[in-house]
Formats: sequence, structure tokens, C-alpha cells
Amino acid sequence: MVTDIYREEVLDHARNPRNRRKLSQPTAVAQVSNPLCGDTLSLAVVLGGNPPRVREVGFEAEACVISVAAASMLTEKIKGQTEADLAGLTEKEIFSWLGGALTPSRVECALLPLKALREVLKEANLK
Amino acid sequence: MVDLTKIRADFPILSRKVNGHPLVYLDNAATTQKPKSVIETISNYYETLNANVHRGVHRLAEEATAKYEDSRKKVAKFIGASSPREIVFTRGTTEAINLVAYSWGEANLKAGDTILLTIMEHHSNLVPWQLLAQRKGLHLDFIPVTKAGYLKDPERMIRKFRPKLLAFVQVSNVLGTINPAQDLIRVAHEVGATVLVDGAQAVSHLPVRVKELDCDFYAFSGHKMLGPTGIGVLFSKTALLEEMPPFLGGGEMIKEVFLRESRYAEPPYKFEAGTPDIAGVVGLGAAVEYLSGLGMEVIRQLEEELVSYAEARLAKVKGLMIYGPRRPADRGGVIAFNVEGIHPHDLATVLDQDGIAIRSGNHCAMPLHERLGVVASARASFALYNTKEEIDLLVEGIERAKKVFKR
Repeated sequence: MVTDIYREEVLDHARNPRNRRKLSQPTAVAQVSNPLCGDTLSLAVVLGGNPPRVREVGFEAEACVISVAAASMLTEKIKGQTEADLAGLTEKEIFSWLGGALTPSRVECALLPLKALREVLKEANLK
Repeated sequence: MVDLTKIRADFPILSRKVNGHPLVYLDNAATTQKPKSVIETISNYYETLNANVHRGVHRLAEEATAKYEDSRKKVAKFIGASSPREIVFTRGTTEAINLVAYSWGEANLKAGDTILLTIMEHHSNLVPWQLLAQRKGLHLDFIPVTKAGYLKDPERMIRKFRPKLLAFVQVSNVLGTINPAQDLIRVAHEVGATVLVDGAQAVSHLPVRVKELDCDFYAFSGHKMLGPTGIGVLFSKTALLEEMPPFLGGGEMIKEVFLRESRYAEPPYKFEAGTPDIAGVVGLGAAVEYLSGLGMEVIRQLEEELVSYAEARLAKVKGLMIYGPRRPADRGGVIAFNVEGIHPHDLATVLDQDGIAIRSGNHCAMPLHERLGVVASARASFALYNTKEEIDLLVEGIERAKKVFKR
């Protein structure tokens, strides 16, 4: 039997994504896509304080279960974190949230939200 | 009566297991599996007659050359060409189309000319023309696709746009639509257009007769017709090939070379610069022999029955939407679909857990998916060795996926 990548926690995040919403006044927004399937995901953050922390986060996606679940989990974890904290977030951590049973071709799906996070921070720093 | 068990036994990979289940291979539009005869022909080539072709005068070189040219004859006969000289070996369909774009296109098209394509083209029959259009200032126009998955008024569109080149897919790799190639070619010729047909999804599924089609170019890949990867074919009429400038320069394609200029070999050699994929060509010959042994009419009949069964079974799955023509006679070996509420990647992953291989994504046809109004789709595609039992397993797998993802 294969380890199921669609375990209950993953499915729960996909069915009831946390922070799936549009932010009205984000500090920055970034949209990324997965060229394999054309899925898109956009991530918005409100940064504030000194050093700046993630005050609010929201994502919108037209994407598969893996991408949506990873985005939902990511938005939960990054709230309140500083840029330095976020820089330390690794791909490995994301795999571990998902249960670590991804097949190689689904790795891109899992990392789509992280790609968006890196883009959105770049975007915020340009402002 | 064809013995499917016997056919399946010819394909060693079909007996392997995936995730503990027997492999159900339904991704044949991406690449087909290879029969033992092809695999053995390739290893036999390397074990007994490997040498470079058209060069040496020693025995091995002569035997390798004879075998290489023998494949060219087989391919010519298989697609109903007038002569083996009309067969140019390429790396695949993509390279064959690029060859036409760079050689024929550069020499014959000028700013303001129109290339007419269709919305159902694979990226390989779209991007080379975009590049050419950008280089030369050409117009690209497109025959639209109806909701039912057919080309919309193609003959009227050809008369309206009066293109210099019409390039279209004979069988869509997503919709499965079998386009009325012969009619389109006739009308295109009436308005003076040159015609290229992308036969990648047609050649191992339908009897193809290029002379009767009367197309100017016909491109296809070896690996989608039981042959090895890395080898493909461009068919063109001898007169056209003679007029066309070379594509790649180097050895093999020349008659005489001086320091500042060269004289080129006759076609098809003019277009086969460098040492070719000799093992690939020889393997392709074995694939053609295998297909011819069964007969393309027989294969088409087998697949039409299978596709018709698959369509009927899939149509009964609640929430499943099939794209493309609903008449099996108008459909090649491809069925693309979506299941409500399930992303095709997730569906493909669940099916993979049951050992079932399907494709998910946009199948190198992004503009067509946009027309369909979806980001991606799932696709089951068949070959002569697939069975109705495998389709039953596919349907069971889809039902299981619906349970996994139910809300």
C-alpha cells in the first residue's frame, strides 16, 4: 500500500482552506503559476511593525488539493513572523506539513505557495 | 479475430506492477509502449551491425546502411508515399515541423503573408509558426473549434483567409477529433496554399495514405507508434524537398564542400545532417513492421470499439464531463475529461495509486484549454493493446477518487 498523500489533515485544509480570501489593502501581492498544469495562486500580505511582521495574509487559488492545502497551511504558519523568520522557511518543512509522501511530479504543486511567498516578500521590499 | 492476450504478451512492460497493481497504461498519446520486436531489433543492431551509415566501405558500414535505408522504404510504404526519397528522418514531429518552418518557411513566405492554423493545435504546431511569424512579419490566423469539438467552418475559413500555409493536426491530442484532412487539403490547394499535417496522433491509429491526402508535408514521431524515442519523420513531395534550402548544415547532407561554399546532397539526405539516430531508424522500421503485421484497418477497428466502450462507461460517471466529438467514428484514441470538483492532477495521483497511468494537465495545448474554459483536463488515451477490463478499472478508480475528495 502506498502512503496516502491525501491524508485527512491535507484534505481538511483543501476543503476548508484557512485564509482563502482577498485582502482589501495588502502591502504586496504576488501571483505565481505552475507551468505543468496552468494552476495559479496569488498570495497577499499586510506587513507592519518594526521589524515588520506578517499582520494579515490571504490567498486565492485555482489549483489542486496539494497546492491549496499547502497554501492554507503556509498562511497559518507565517502569521506574526518577521522576514528573517520567513527566510528560514524551507521546502523540507512544507513537505513535512503535507506528510512527506509526495510523488516527485507533485513536488511543484506543494511548493507553489512557497514560491508565492518569496515573490510577495520581494514585491514588499521594492515598495 | 485478433487475440488481445497474444498482442499484450508482445509488450514486456505491460506485465509490470505499479504500486502493487498490474500496470494499466492509458497515456499512449504521450508515448506508446514498445513491443519486444522493436526492443530486440535495437539491441540486435548494436550487438551485430553497429557502424556509421553512408560513409565506410567496410562490411558493417554497408550492412548498417542497408538496414537504415530499408527502414526508409518500410516507412514510405506504411504511409503510402510515392518513394522512399520523400521520407526525411528527424528527431520527432516537433523537429519535422521546425524543419519546414526554417527551410520552406524562410524561403517561401514574406511579410504580410498568412499562416492559417487551428485552435486545437499542439504547441509543436503553433510555436514554430509564431517564431517564423515574428521573424518575417507574417499573420497568424486560426480556425475556431465548436463546442462539440469540431473545426468550425474550416473550408470557409480557408477561402476567407487565403493562407500561404495551412498547418493542422489530423487527430487532436486532447479532443481526439479526427479532422477531415483530405477535404481541407483540397480546399487549401484551391486557394494556392501549401499544407502541413501534424500526424503525431494519427499515424499509429488510422490508415494514413499521404499520396491520397495530397498533403505537402506530413510530420510524425516514432515513439507514439510503438517505436523508440528520438526519431521522427517528415514526409514531403520530392519536388518540394528539392527546392527547399537545407535546414541544418554538416556532414551527410553535402555533395562537395569547399572552404567558402558547398554543394548539397539530394533529398532526403540534404535534410539529414550529421550522424543520424541509426538505431532509432532501425527500431522505427521494426515498429512499422509490427503495425503492418496487424494491419492499420484492424487496429483502427479495435480502437474505435474500445473508445466507444470507454466513452459509454465514462459518460455514466456522475459529474464527469467529456470533451470532444461524441461520435466514435470521429474520434481517435483519446478521451479528455474532467470530474466535477476534482483537479486532474489529484485524479491522476489517485489513479496512479491503483497502477493506472493517465495524463493530466494541458497536454501541450494551452490555447485549446482556454477555449474549453478549463485550466487543465485529465486524459485517457489508448493503443491497440488496451482492454475493456482496463477501462472498467479506470472507471472504478475515478469512483474511488470521488470518495477520497468528497466534501
